[in-house]
Amino acid sequence: MPTRDALVDAMERLVGADAVLSQPGALKAYDCDAYSLDRATPRVVVLPSSREQVRDIVRWCLDADVPFTPRGAGTGLSGGAMDALGGVILSSKRLNRILDIDVPNRRLWAQAGAVNLHLTQAVEADRLHFAPDPSSQSVCTLGGNIAENSGGPHTLKYGVTAQHILALTLVDPDGEIITLEAGGPGFDFVSLVVGSEGTLGIVTDAWVRLTPTPEAVRTALIAFPTVAGASQAVAAIIASGVIPAALEMMDRQILAALRAAFGLDYPEGTDALLLVECDGCDADEVDAEMAVAASIANDQGALQVQIAHTRAERAALWTARKKGIGAMGWIAPTIITHDGVIPRSKLPEMLEFVATVAEEHGLMVANLFHAGDGNLHPCIAFDDRDPAQVEAVIEAGEKILRRCIELGGSVSGEHGIGVEKIDLLQEMFTADDLRLQADAKRIFNKGGLCNACKVLPNQKGCLEHRRRWRGVAT
Amino acid sequence: MKSIDDLASACIRCGFCLEACPTYRLTGEESESPRGRIYLIRNADAGRISWLDTRPHLDRCLGCRACEPACPSGVQYGALLEMARERLGTPPGERMGLAALTRPALLKTAVALGELISTDKMPSSVSLLFSEEPPTAAVPKVQAPAEWPPLLERDLPPIRGEVHLLLGCAMRVLFPRVHEATRRLLRRVGFRVTASDPGCCGALHAHAGALGDAHERVARVGTEFDGGLPIVVNSAGCGSWLKEQPEFADRVCDLSEFLLREGLVEALAAGPGLPITATYHDACHLAHGQGIRAEPRELLAAIPGATWVPLADSDTCCGSAGIYNLTQPTLARRLLDRKWKAVEATGSRIVVLGNPGCHAWLAQAARERGDRITVVHTAEMLEASFSGWFE
Repeated sequence: MPTRDALVDAMERLVGADAVLSQPGALKAYDCDAYSLDRATPRVVVLPSSREQVRDIVRWCLDADVPFTPRGAGTGLSGGAMDALGGVILSSKRLNRILDIDVPNRRLWAQAGAVNLHLTQAVEADRLHFAPDPSSQSVCTLGGNIAENSGGPHTLKYGVTAQHILALTLVDPDGEIITLEAGGPGFDFVSLVVGSEGTLGIVTDAWVRLTPTPEAVRTALIAFPTVAGASQAVAAIIASGVIPAALEMMDRQILAALRAAFGLDYPEGTDALLLVECDGCDADEVDAEMAVAASIANDQGALQVQIAHTRAERAALWTARKKGIGAMGWIAPTIITHDGVIPRSKLPEMLEFVATVAEEHGLMVANLFHAGDGNLHPCIAFDDRDPAQVEAVIEAGEKILRRCIELGGSVSGEHGIGVEKIDLLQEMFTADDLRLQADAKRIFNKGGLCNACKVLPNQKGCLEHRRRWRGVAT
Repeated sequence: MKSIDDLASACIRCGFCLEACPTYRLTGEESESPRGRIYLIRNADAGRISWLDTRPHLDRCLGCRACEPACPSGVQYGALLEMARERLGTPPGERMGLAALTRPALLKTAVALGELISTDKMPSSVSLLFSEEPPTAAVPKVQAPAEWPPLLERDLPPIRGEVHLLLGCAMRVLFPRVHEATRRLLRRVGFRVTASDPGCCGALHAHAGALGDAHERVARVGTEFDGGLPIVVNSAGCGSWLKEQPEFADRVCDLSEFLLREGLVEALAAGPGLPITATYHDACHLAHGQGIRAEPRELLAAIPGATWVPLADSDTCCGSAGIYNLTQPTLARRLLDRKWKAVEATGSRIVVLGNPGCHAWLAQAARERGDRITVVHTAEMLEASFSGWFE
């Protein structure tokens, strides 16, 4: 490994001093993303502003045997943008332009560092939007969405990022700029790259699909006295044939956070909130769908059904969902948001299990999740200044995710494996499955330098890194 | 009193603040973002990194507080920044800058000396005190008095109360016309201004982390402005700071809040108005610090005949930010250029705002580009609706 000075000099030669960060404070700020339990300080951070610069950096790293890690806005929740082996972080934040908008063909070309929401804002006037809408959409990047195959509340109807990427250009782990197109004849390599968590190259730009913005949207926020009642309503709504654009649930602890953060209030005795959104091009049809959902909710003992009529009212109802996790900061110094998937029918049973685990470990847990597709987000509150609590949080999280596997689900719906769930991935797949995935990684990421130690660790230093961070609070 | 650790640990690292931050948007750097800075403060406070390592990043923070409304966890970033800056200590150059701006006699001398210099640029002997980068802020100019006709008692409602008006420091020296317009508007809704004058309120000191000086000054405001009367403030930064003082926070209002509440809209409607196209810039300490966005707009919209064009990114900091344009000339200039481009794109002849810092900084941009656009305070614009334009 070259000395830090040599590394910094080389990077400055490639991209200019203005695009290289090497001061200790700056580097410290990059030692984790939104998953703050696992931290490692990079030796240098580089902010390239062209594909060619990305390629030059990657080639230099390959020559010098230096690990390199892509990073967007750093809102990831499994440690994917953390530089486990202390090499170079390649930030996409100066590759943030929208390069072309093709309204007739409903597609848009943007660089990897462009903000998710900015894509939609650029085509709003044409009644189009970029459908994946993770909660962090106002800050997270297209490149990050591609890496994690991000979802969001509207995934239920519109699909995840993979369904919205038409073509992408990346600098592969061999330092070549290559462009891949989806949907053509032959193997679909785009879908291999989407969701590979930055281990198969550094995406520099992509053509994304634009989706017509529905003419009619109805949103309802429904209060239930029990989680079981809300879960049964979810099952009944899906069974009725209605496909809501979003079907989201929040539990009592989230309500407490929302109350503290925004002064929001719900009927006495509310134990779960269900957010239902229906959309389409025909207002009458959408109204009819919403009427079905509301009547099902009432049959299941809903305490209150609030239906938004204007855009502003809709935004107000969505606050409960979009800012629910953030609001947890009012009642806890640190949170970890988990991400597991289970069959919808197991929701009540799973939530009970989550509550039991939390109690066993003396932790507070709040649940906010995409009920429509069984994607659970148990959000554990703790104080990361207390090593014992950190240990407890990690253990509790793993128990919850193991249970997801047992119930026939998955250890990740949309947050990725990163460093957080490496061990659990091993439990979810058979040896053959894992070998196949490892082969793919070995073929396309030969030296393992590209986002080392993520998903399927294959570097010598990874085990050592893992030992270092597990259970260490500071 | 909350500790640095209490305030910093409210951040759960969701990152929702990132795109609200002007310096993050300019640089794309995590260490120039609110989340990054909070993280550095937290680590320095816990002894994991040296406080000195946080300095360049905290120095580059505008203190605009645009991150606060964006934060779902309720991090009190402004307060945290002040405490961290206090911990770091205010550099000597910055202390001199504060002294010059907040002591009216000193500021008057400085401005008068500036008039003697033939160029508009600040001499490097002065600018080097603040930053090694080439200077970009000019010596500010003092406003000419408006030649408004005296108010006629018979046209006015009877006096129904008194208010204290914070004359402050920079506003008093540089923008006498704003204070004049403020007094006239207050009188137009039936209020007289008392003679109490506590001087500088310490807001600039607080924002720079000189909390000792700041509290000394703000204590004087409390003593001078007694009697439970409303305290009207026409400077966003001062208003925001005074509203943080529990002893009299509930008495403090921005001029726009007060005028709206006391019925200036009706008075405006009955006046002659102003057939002019204009745009409004949100001062950070009004929009983010005090949540005041609607009030000035509502008043301005009531000016008969005026056309209002919305300003793109109207609540993004212009780079003035106290003495930021002295301490961080390069970033401040980039923010000013962006702001001015947005102002020009509106096609307006006038840009209206409610804070002396932005006022002086945008006025410099206007001068540099041939004075085709005029920068005025909300009070001046509103008074012109009654008394006519003043140039």
